[in-house]
Amino acid sequence: MENKYNLKSPAVKRLMKEAAELRDPTEHYHAQPLEDNLFEWHFSVRGPPDSDFDGGVYHGRIVLPPEYPMKPPSIILLTPNGRFEVGKKICLSISGHHPETWQPSWSIRTALIAIIGFMPTKGEGAIGSLDYTPEERRALAKKSQDFCCESCGCSMRTALLALTPNSDPSPEDHQAKELAQQISFKAESSLSRQPSESGGAESEPSTLTEGDSSTSAGQEADVEPQAELAEESPAPSEEEPRPPAAPSVGRPLSPRQRRAQQHNQQGQRDGREAASRLPFIAPPHQPQDDSHAGSAVLIVVLTLALAALIFRRIYLANEYKFDYEL
Amino acid sequence: MRSCRRRKQIWTAKMAEEQQESSQPEVEGVNCLAYDEAIIAQQDRIQQEIANSNPLVSDRQDLAVLQREYAEEDTVYQLKIKDLHKKYSYIRKTRPDGNCFYRAFGFAHLESLLDDSKELQKFKAVAAKSKLDLVNEGFTEFTIEDFHNTFMDLIELCEKQPSLQELLSSFNDQNVSDYVVVYLRLLTSGYLQREYGFFQHFIEGGRSVKEFCQQEVEPMSKESDHIHIIALAQALNVSILVEYMDRGEGGTVNHHVFPEGGDPRIFLLYRPGHYDILYK
Repeated sequence: MENKYNLKSPAVKRLMKEAAELRDPTEHYHAQPLEDNLFEWHFSVRGPPDSDFDGGVYHGRIVLPPEYPMKPPSIILLTPNGRFEVGKKICLSISGHHPETWQPSWSIRTALIAIIGFMPTKGEGAIGSLDYTPEERRALAKKSQDFCCESCGCSMRTALLALTPNSDPSPEDHQAKELAQQISFKAESSLSRQPSESGGAESEPSTLTEGDSSTSAGQEADVEPQAELAEESPAPSEEEPRPPAAPSVGRPLSPRQRRAQQHNQQGQRDGREAASRLPFIAPPHQPQDDSHAGSAVLIVVLTLALAALIFRRIYLANEYKFDYEL
Repeated sequence: MRSCRRRKQIWTAKMAEEQQESSQPEVEGVNCLAYDEAIIAQQDRIQQEIANSNPLVSDRQDLAVLQREYAEEDTVYQLKIKDLHKKYSYIRKTRPDGNCFYRAFGFAHLESLLDDSKELQKFKAVAAKSKLDLVNEGFTEFTIEDFHNTFMDLIELCEKQPSLQELLSSFNDQNVSDYVVVYLRLLTSGYLQREYGFFQHFIEGGRSVKEFCQQEVEPMSKESDHIHIIALAQALNVSILVEYMDRGEGGTVNHHVFPEGGDPRIFLLYRPGHYDILYK
């Protein structure tokens, strides 16, 4: 690969360094460039242990712009996970409501840890986000281990180092996690939120019981990027047990119904979470919904105006012709 | 296009136009991806326009160019420019891209060190050590070292006593220039965080120093204020004088030295939202 790229290019220099830095899988993440393209990487991340993604290992692509690290990478998940749409760009970049927050001193590792940190946060209907039920997410987490990436030949069972009971995050990890909290994720994709992979999830009989969701937040708590928050806020387990309002496994719900239910549950937790989160990573989703409504109205008005103009035009043209013939 | 703020106004106006235009095709189906991408593309185009008409750092020009930037009947500015003329003869402009303070500072300081090798060596030692300070503060070494290396390369270039043109062309090479800006931003952020006990009192909006740095200092294109200037001046132990020229009455420009009581080597002209370099 060394010969193929201009080593003087700042992006190439930096990516080579990052590739070396991330060469060996850790317990929680791994990423490497594709063999034939330094600007496309594949990554695997472990679902946060004290969440519905526990036991899941998720795979995805990272696309680096030529201006990297001055411009942020784009991230695309390939494993169905119930939190991010598959095959859609999640970019750490701008949105109409959030200023550009990418910092050139961040790295691919920062982005990976940010993804892990964002998995347990709510999608709340943001574009590219999914709000599957805990059951579905747990089923997908289980299934995710079977995923094998065709293009990089990576199997999720072996992609990461096995978790050890006393895994101790290094100080670097700690710092990166702190950074990850600052990123405001902005998912970038089409509006269609109809989850294409939900069919599989629904038909999958959920073998997990309600009790499983409140598994220990104990020793593994550190690996979750919000661990710092957890220390300040009341016990993290408080947020963990899903209210029994979750849909019963036997009755399949439409994605809309499920979302509505999810929102209800989340509403109750909102206050607490918002308080414990830094102000600028407060979920960016509400304003987006507003703007959708706003632009929809604008479009309707403009369409009507256009129709009126065209109609008038035609009318005038006809009238003119009529006059002329007389 | 005199200032960053003005750039923002143009920006907003153009985006409003663009949004109106682009909303027509959306009738087919509200497509937010297209919407966002249109905004991004539009921002890029505006950046490109600014870039085409303003070099990152311009040649040195006679201060008289300022007079022509304002209408003759604009007495507030014309009087102030006259006042400026008493002290300064030349101006060097920087591109209004939100990074102008750092670029102006970086260039002006290195330029002033071209014929002062004693000061240059002192500055080199401070700059060389600065990376370690950042790493000790928790910045990731391998992500900041490229920026540091580029900065040190430029200082080493100055040691060879290059022509002014050579330094100028380095500062107009976007890759080099932006990396220097990133490093100066990191130094500013590092200093603010090291002295957070002091700077905490000057930060608005209930943010911590760290949050402020991550929102207002480290990302590119974020404009600089007093607090940034004080931090960078102290981090590098360089004294900066800023002449403030705005719509305020009085007919004279006010200046401020950072840090107070210093003996400034660098003179910057501030007009709302933008910094240029001044020469006596």
